[in-house]
Amino acid sequence: MIKIKNVTKIYKPETVALKNCNFRIRPGEFVSIVGQSGTGKTTLARLIIAEEKPNKGSIIVGGWDISNIRSSDVPILRRQIGVVFQDFKLLPRKTVYENVAFALEVAGAAPKKIRNIVPQALKIVNLENKIDRFPNQLSGGEQQRVVIARSLVHRPKIIIADEPTGNLDSINVQEIIDLLLKINKFGTTVVLVTHNRDIVNSLKKRVITLDEGQVISDQEAGRYLL
Amino acid sequence: MISFYRALKFAFQSFKRNVWLSAATILILVLTLFSVSLVGTINFIGDRAIRSVKDKVDLSVYFYPEVGEKEVQAIQARLQTLPSVKNVNYIPKEQALEEFIEKHKDDPVISETLEILDDNPLGATLVIQAKDIEKYSEILNVMSDPNYSDMIYEKDIEDYQTIIRRLTNMTDRIYQITFVISMIFIIIAILVVFNTIRITIYTHREEIGIMRLVGATNWFIRGPFILESMIYAVISTIISVGILYPILRLVSPQVTTFFEGYNLNLANYFSDHFIEILGLQLIVALVLSMISSMIAVGRHLRA
Ligand SMILES: Nc1ncnc2c1ncn2[C@@H]1O[C@H](COP(=O)(O)OP(=O)(O)O)[C@@H](O)[C@H]1O
Ligand SMILES: [Mg+2]
Repeated sequence: MIKIKNVTKIYKPETVALKNCNFRIRPGEFVSIVGQSGTGKTTLARLIIAEEKPNKGSIIVGGWDISNIRSSDVPILRRQIGVVFQDFKLLPRKTVYENVAFALEVAGAAPKKIRNIVPQALKIVNLENKIDRFPNQLSGGEQQRVVIARSLVHRPKIIIADEPTGNLDSINVQEIIDLLLKINKFGTTVVLVTHNRDIVNSLKKRVITLDEGQVISDQEAGRYLL
Repeated sequence: MISFYRALKFAFQSFKRNVWLSAATILILVLTLFSVSLVGTINFIGDRAIRSVKDKVDLSVYFYPEVGEKEVQAIQARLQTLPSVKNVNYIPKEQALEEFIEKHKDDPVISETLEILDDNPLGATLVIQAKDIEKYSEILNVMSDPNYSDMIYEKDIEDYQTIIRRLTNMTDRIYQITFVISMIFIIIAILVVFNTIRITIYTHREEIGIMRLVGATNWFIRGPFILESMIYAVISTIISVGILYPILRLVSPQVTTFFEGYNLNLANYFSDHFIEILGLQLIVALVLSMISSMIAVGRHLRA
């Protein structure tokens, strides 16, 4: 599903964020990418959604080499990848329903399709009874679930979540992780970027560990090493 | 289609969200359109005035009374074959006399002299209009043919040259000044629209970020901002035309009196060419605002 081959990413002028990374993720896998702050985890996520381009190596998503993707093709890629990023929150002036519908609207979906899909997505994250609330009327965990619902509307084959539990307390963290596991059970590939030791250890799924931009370990049913 | 509708909705929302900014942008666009229209109007008035003065220029060739009708008409026929001649009017002796008497009826000396004379002292006249004011010298050359010299008593070109020169100078001067002013306005308008769109992009940066991540196409992201600039253009055109018309009506009588006899009615011209004027202003406004919004969008919404 995702192939990372000899990927190096250098930010101008000289920050080497990733150095010669190699791994592949199969369809339906649940993979955690861990590592200390500043080791290139977010950079890796941004490369996979073509928000950045690698300086060396290639990135293949669903058989499609996106290393030199044309900017007009980026939206096509983005509709196949659900994104839960730290800095892409909800729009404060829109309700839960509108926030989720927004992702479909801007992709040119028909109103009928929107009315059909949005409630389904909100049902998956268990928020079907709070669709008319505004983001500031929700808890942190609920907000993050809306973000996940929004990432699901294009029925993506891959979900990339970059520190989705960053600002949450432990009960909410577990909620989010359970939700990602549930989505993974539907067959969606899940890539979870985190530095939360407890989560990683309890998941008992594959763990890829980065250190200073390099893959230093890649284990099935792994543990948090650092 | 549904995307267009959504982009339009989005554009109107951001238009409303920054009302004052929108109002300022429209004001500048209106001023720009207005000064451009002023250049156009002045150009139009000047052109009309000069053209109507030029139309009045003609060359009169007076023949001796002895010269027969046939001979004069032969010359008329020859003149009419010249490419530089627009038309030649033959005035027989009798008519020439009538016109002469009519013209000088208040001058007792001339009237008395004419009464003493039994015979018509005047000859036939040919009044020649050239196609172009520069062509008169050519026609004068032809008439200087030595064969004609003992038939022609006098050649007289009504001299409007000084008036034309003065008019041309005046309109050129006004035109240059207004042209420079509207150029300045155009530049200001481009900058203002550019800045407005930049600010709008900034206020919507969160939405834009999300749109990009959920796979909105570039044109879907850019569309609303370009549409917004088009809304500015349309509104300012309507306002500008709405102001221009009453003002033209107001000054039209003065202009008409000033150029008396030149058949110049600005208000009528405006009503007759309403669609063209509206269309032209709309095109100017659209081109201006779209150029600047495209630059803003290109610089601040990299793909
Ligand atoms: N846009 C950027 N421009 C320059 N340097 C960056 C940029 N983004 C990240 N970096 C640098 O790249 C390195 C990796 O960052 P990042 O991928 O965000 O790490 P992580 O997500 O693991 O904390 C850091 O040294 C960071 O300062
Ligand atoms: Mg990060």
